Amino acid sequence: MMRLPVHRVLQKAVRHGVSGNGAVRGLAAAPEKVEVFIDDKRVLVEPGTTVLQAAAVAGVEIPRFCYHDRLSIAGNCRMCLVEVEKSLKPVASCAMPVMKGMRVKTNSEATRKAREGVMEFLLINHPLDCPICDQGGECDLQDQSMTFGSDKSRFTDIHFSGKRAVEDKNIGPLVKTIMTRCIHCTRCIRFASEVAGVDDMGTTGRGSDMQVGTYVEKMLMSELSGNIIDLCPVGALTSKPYAFTARPWETRATESIDVMDALGSNIVVSTRTGEVLRILPRMNDEINEEWIADKSRFSCDGLKRQRLTLPMLKNQNGELTPVEWEDALVGVAQALKSARGNQVAAIAGGLADAEALTAIKDLLNRLDSELLCTEEIFPLDGSGTDLRSNYLLNSKIAGIEEADLVLLVGTNPRFEAPLLNTRLRKSWINNELNVGLIGPKVDLTYSYEHVGSGPDSLNAVLEGKHAFSKQLQNAKRPIIIVGSTALQRADGAVVLAKIQKLCSTLRAKGSIDQDWRVLNVLHRVASQVAALDLGYAPGAQKIRDAKPKVLFMLGADEGVIKREDLAPGSFIIYQGHHGDKGAEIADAVLPGAAYTEKQATYVNTEGRAQQTIVAVTAPGMAREDWKIVRALSEILGIKLPYDNLNEIRRRMGEIAPNLTRYGDVEDANYFTQAAQLADLALGKGSLTTDPLDVPLKELEDYYMTNSISRASPTMAKCIQSVRKQRQSKY
Amino acid sequence: MAAQRQLMRQSYGVFRGMFLQQRCLSVTAQRLRPDDVDKALSVKEAPSKDTKNIFETKEEVERRLKLQENIQIDVPLDLTPVTGVPEEHTRTRRVRIFKPAKNAMQSGTANINRWRMEFETRERWENPLMGWSSSGDPLSNLNVDFADKEEAVAFCEKNGWPWFVEDPVEKVMKPKSYGLNFHWNRNTRVSTK
Repeated sequence: MMRLPVHRVLQKAVRHGVSGNGAVRGLAAAPEKVEVFIDDKRVLVEPGTTVLQAAAVAGVEIPRFCYHDRLSIAGNCRMCLVEVEKSLKPVASCAMPVMKGMRVKTNSEATRKAREGVMEFLLINHPLDCPICDQGGECDLQDQSMTFGSDKSRFTDIHFSGKRAVEDKNIGPLVKTIMTRCIHCTRCIRFASEVAGVDDMGTTGRGSDMQVGTYVEKMLMSELSGNIIDLCPVGALTSKPYAFTARPWETRATESIDVMDALGSNIVVSTRTGEVLRILPRMNDEINEEWIADKSRFSCDGLKRQRLTLPMLKNQNGELTPVEWEDALVGVAQALKSARGNQVAAIAGGLADAEALTAIKDLLNRLDSELLCTEEIFPLDGSGTDLRSNYLLNSKIAGIEEADLVLLVGTNPRFEAPLLNTRLRKSWINNELNVGLIGPKVDLTYSYEHVGSGPDSLNAVLEGKHAFSKQLQNAKRPIIIVGSTALQRADGAVVLAKIQKLCSTLRAKGSIDQDWRVLNVLHRVASQVAALDLGYAPGAQKIRDAKPKVLFMLGADEGVIKREDLAPGSFIIYQGHHGDKGAEIADAVLPGAAYTEKQATYVNTEGRAQQTIVAVTAPGMAREDWKIVRALSEILGIKLPYDNLNEIRRRMGEIAPNLTRYGDVEDANYFTQAAQLADLALGKGSLTTDPLDVPLKELEDYYMTNSISRASPTMAKCIQSVRKQRQSKY
Repeated sequence: MAAQRQLMRQSYGVFRGMFLQQRCLSVTAQRLRPDDVDKALSVKEAPSKDTKNIFETKEEVERRLKLQENIQIDVPLDLTPVTGVPEEHTRTRRVRIFKPAKNAMQSGTANINRWRMEFETRERWENPLMGWSSSGDPLSNLNVDFADKEEAVAFCEKNGWPWFVEDPVEKVMKPKSYGLNFHWNRNTRVSTK
C-alpha cells in the first residue's frame, strides 16, 4: 500500500465527517473484525492477522516454506506470494497484515506465475536427489514443486559450473545435515533461538554463498533438537538414527501418547513389520503444541534392546531360566499363596499404566493386602493425596500462557518436562512473563529471578521478607509450580504445606480470580497421577516398614526397594518390559508390554487421561500387563471380574471416573480445605536447611531416566556427545 | 411411453448436433425435420396396459403395489447375522474413529480434514521370503474415510464393531505480526539471523 501524505489523510477524514473523538471511541471498543475477501470469499478476522492466516480461516492453504505457525515470521522464502487487488506487486502473505476490504487472489494467473518463479529459483540450487534423500515422500519442496512448480526447467548448466554445493555440518548425534539441500528458510534457526532457547544456529555469508549452521563445529545442545528435523521443509536436516531406514509410504502411523515424562505428549509411532522405526510429534495445543522432546523421539530404539521376551523363574542354582507362561504363573501363584495379608506388597514404577495398576490393586486387595506403593514419594501429611488438587498441575499446561508470574520451586522444568519449559519460554517471549526460581541455579533458556536455593527462601517469600514476594503479591495470575523432586525430601510435606499456605495467602487478598489456580505440582513420571488416583500409597516406606515376604514389582526400575528391605527369604516378582534394576533382583520375571505395545491409560500431570494405542505387538511371549495379572488371578483362584479392555476400564471408572474420560481434564478443587489441613503437616515437622536440589541439572542428565531410555543406544550416544562438547572450547 | 418420447427427443438432439457440426447426414436423419418430430411427439396415445396384470382385482393390485414398496424398520441396522464375517472379526475388534493428524514433516493439510476408522493392531511380521510385512488380520488394511464421525459410528454399528471416538484438539489461531521481530524492548526481538 502506498502511503498518503498527511494533508491528504486529514482532508479525507474531514470529508467523511470523522471527528477525532469518534475515532478514539472506536479504537477503545473491542477490536472490530476486519472484512477480507479471499478468492471472493468473505471472511472476518481479527485486526493484525496476516493474509496467510486469513486465507487459512477461509480454508485456502497458501504454500509456504519459511512460515511456521509457532515461529516468528521471517518472510524470506517468497513462496507465499499472492496477488492483492490494487497492489502493483505480489504480496508476501505471511508477513502482510490484513486491511479492510482487501481482496486477495490466491489462485490467479499472477499468483501462479509468482509461485512458479520462486519455485524455479529454489530448484536451481537444490539437488535433484529425491531418490536418495530421506525426506523423499514427505518433503514440502517435493509436494509444492509438483503442485505449484513449472513443468519444465530452464536451468541449463552451460558453463558446467555445477550446482551450488555446501559442506555438511556436524551438529550432534541426532540431526543429520545435508546442507546442499538447504533452501535457507531459517526455520531451524528460529526454532533454536525462539523455542529451544539455544542461540547456536545462524547464517553466514550472503546470496548464493549463504550457509545455515553453527559457524564453528558445535553440537546443538538442546533437549528439543529433534524438532528441527520436522521443521525442515526439505531434506537438509534429517534424523540420524532413522537415516535410510524406511520410506513414509512403507510405514504405518499409529497415534499414541508418550510416557517419557509426566506431560503425556501426543505422538505418532511409525512402524513397519512389527518394529517401531521412529516417533514423531502429533499436534495437541493443550499439551505439546507440535513439539516433542528428544527423549520421547529418539529413545524408541531402546524398545528393541534389553527386552524381557520370555517368562522366567529362578532355578535351584539361583539363575533366572526361561519357562513356559503356565509354569511361571503357577510358580508366582505358589509364592503369592504362601503369604497372606500384608506379607504381600506391590510397588509400581514410572511407566506403569492405569489398567495394570487397577488389576494389581484388585488382586492384592483380594489377597487382603493394602500394601500398594509407587516408587515416587508424595507427602501424606495434611490432606496428602486425598485431595486431587494437591498433586495435579491445576493451572494446566496451556494455562501458563495466561499467567503473569511463575514461581518454580525445586524443579528444573527444562529437563523434567521440556515441553512445559517451552510454554514458559513462549510466555516469557510473548507475554513478558516473570519467572522466579527456588532451587539450584540452572539454565532454563530464559532469564529468571533466582529467589534462593534453600527452603529458607521459601519461608522468606511466605513471610514477605523477600523482594520477590512483593511481585507475587501484586500478580493477578500467579502460578507456583512445585517439582516432584522437592517433595521427595524428608521435609517434603512441610515444603508442600508452606506452598499451600503461600497460595492461600495470595488468594486471600482477593485480587486473584476465583477460577484461577495457583498451586501446581509437576510430576516426573507418567504413571504417578493414575496411581494416586487409584489409591496407591506414594513412596516405598510402608513396604520397608512391613518387610513383606512377597513383593510384586510392576515396572519398578529405580532401585527404590532392595532385597535387604524385605523379609529374609522373600520372593520378588518383576513384571515389566525391560531387563533393568527390577528384573536383576527378581525371582520370577513376567514379560509385559511397553507403551507402544498396549492400549493403555496414562494420566498426565494435569490429570488428563489419555490412552496409548497398540502400534506393534509385544515381542516374544510378552503380553499386555493387565492380562498377565488377570491370568494370574485365575490360577490363584480369585478370578478378577474383567475379561476385556472395556470391562477393566469400567472397573477403573468405578474407582476413579476421571481415568476413563479420555482427553479431558477434570478440574480439582478444595484448595481452602487443603490449606487448612496443611497446618497438620506444619505442626509435625519443620524445614531442613539442606538446599533444594534437582537430579537433572545439565543436558547429559536428561537423556537416561527410565528403563526404556537407559536401554537406548541413541541416548547413550547423546550423553557421550554432550560430554565431548563440554570439552570443546566452543 | 414417456420414456420412449424422451429417447426420441434425445436421439433427435444428437442427430441435429451432427447435422449442424459435421454436415454429414444419413438418409433417415435427413428425413427427420424438426417440425416433423414435434408433430409426431404431440400425438396423444392411449396408455398401454401390461397384459399380465389385466385381470387383477383391486385388492390384488394393492397387494402387488405394497410388495414393491420399501419396508421401514425402527430397529438399528445390524448386518452381522448376514455378512458371514466370523465373530472373531466383529465383536472382538475395536475400532478407533479419529481425525488423522497432520504429518509433522509436511505443512500440507489437504488429507486430514476427514474422519477415519482403523482397527486395533494385531501381530505383524516380516515375511521371510521377500522381507515384506505380513499379517494374519484381514481387517488390518481397512481404512475407511468419512465426512463426519456420526457416519463412521453408524458404519461401525452396522457392521457390529465396537468403536471409540477420539476427538482432536482444535488448533487456535493467534494473530502474528512481522513487526514483533524488530520490537525495541520486548523479548520477541529476533536475536539471530
